[in-house]
Amino acid sequence: MTLHPTLAVLTYSGLALLSAGFGAIPVAFRQRLPPSWLGWANAVAAGLMLGVAYILMAAGLPRTPAVGAAGAVMGIAFLYWTHGVAGTQELELDRLGDTAPDYGYQLLLVNTMHAAPEGIAIGVAMTLSPSLGAFMALAIAVHNVPEAAVLAAVLKSRGLTLFQAAGAATATRVSQVLFAVATFAVVAAAPALAPWALGVAVGALLYLVMAELLPHCYRQAGHTSIALVAILAMGMVVLLAGGAP
Amino acid sequence: MPDTARVFTYALLTAFATGLGALPFAFVRGISPAVVAWTNAIASGLMLGASFGLVAEGTQYGAWETVAGATVGVGFILFTQRLLARSGVRFAHARGPGAQRMLLMIIVMTVHSFSEGVAVGVSFGGGMALAVAITIAIAVHNIPEGLAISAVLRPRGASLAACVGWSVFSSLPQPLMAVPAFLLVEAVRPALPYGIGFAAGAMVFMVLVELLPEAFDRARRAPVALIVCLTLVAMVVFQQYL
Repeated sequence: MTLHPTLAVLTYSGLALLSAGFGAIPVAFRQRLPPSWLGWANAVAAGLMLGVAYILMAAGLPRTPAVGAAGAVMGIAFLYWTHGVAGTQELELDRLGDTAPDYGYQLLLVNTMHAAPEGIAIGVAMTLSPSLGAFMALAIAVHNVPEAAVLAAVLKSRGLTLFQAAGAATATRVSQVLFAVATFAVVAAAPALAPWALGVAVGALLYLVMAELLPHCYRQAGHTSIALVAILAMGMVVLLAGGAP
Repeated sequence: MPDTARVFTYALLTAFATGLGALPFAFVRGISPAVVAWTNAIASGLMLGASFGLVAEGTQYGAWETVAGATVGVGFILFTQRLLARSGVRFAHARGPGAQRMLLMIIVMTVHSFSEGVAVGVSFGGGMALAVAITIAIAVHNIPEGLAISAVLRPRGASLAACVGWSVFSSLPQPLMAVPAFLLVEAVRPALPYGIGFAAGAMVFMVLVELLPEAFDRARRAPVALIVCLTLVAMVVFQQYL
């Protein structure tokens, strides 16, 4: 059965969204996750995203390097700017036990902002080929689990029930689905925009890893274990994609 | 000029090109923590960008071989780190972790040059046009490598002359390996993805385990992230146009 492409995007990104719910499962078993677990989870996420960024670059860049680069700079600059405006540049995503009311909103905001470029990545990959789109959704889905786990752990420590925490974590990723479908629709309608979308996705993913995921990792666990976990995750993505699509 | 001498000369020129990468650091003298963070960020972006290009190339020969090489590269860094930590090293008027990082950087880049030298040598089997193209590509690619090396050495106290010297040194394996590679092309070609993977794995791991943690320790993460990302993109695009 072949799905109509837009429906496929919706399905794949929807599945990725649901996987965020799975992030709550480890939280159910332990009230307080040790910081090193959070660090390693973030490291897996970082490695997967770097791998995904590489796949997108290898797929799209050879055809239009200049436009791709311009898009990447745009993606990077946009995230840098929005974080600056929201005052969340130095926000720590894992302060278990922080009960300040603002922190909750900031956390949800940041997570939603993160989910958007991931959705763009899925949408863009889908325009390159359905199998790449499916693969991208899988990578993001896997990546959703540790990210949602971190968020759910913090929310739960702030007093939400497991169900509420899991629900909130999943909900922040709704923007993934929206952006995936929107990106796919826009690029399908205007193929000239494809290299831009690709560039923006890559730039945004890279910035997220460098500005958010990795700095957190290094505070939560040892450098060597973080580096090993991240590079392992990257390697798996590269290998599973056969190196280049 | 007989062929082997030509191969050697071309590869030697690529090695000297690495020294050019040190020149921008004529103006950097301060060793404030923030400068270390930003130059680490530059080096990280360059090395990650280079590794992306390497992986793309290596996987054309074989994805598993490239990843296998990368695994060895990671192991090599771990091993060298332990070795340096135990030996209480001094280097270019620095000691301790600063000296360790400088030495590690030089070792990584030098070992990486072996596979570049092989690439140059192998390309001569494909006719002069290809050989010239590859040589220019490697020479130009060497410049950011010299930049990355100097970015690690200069803020930790190395003189400009030392930066130039060590940059060139790190590329000397290129002419040394180019000649045997040229003479033994058929034997050497299967090893290429392993060598490429090794270089990529070592560089990425070094960025993740040394350069980035230190950068995030010493400066605010948003500017560091910005520098890494922009440099990475620049390097990837730069390699596309070679």
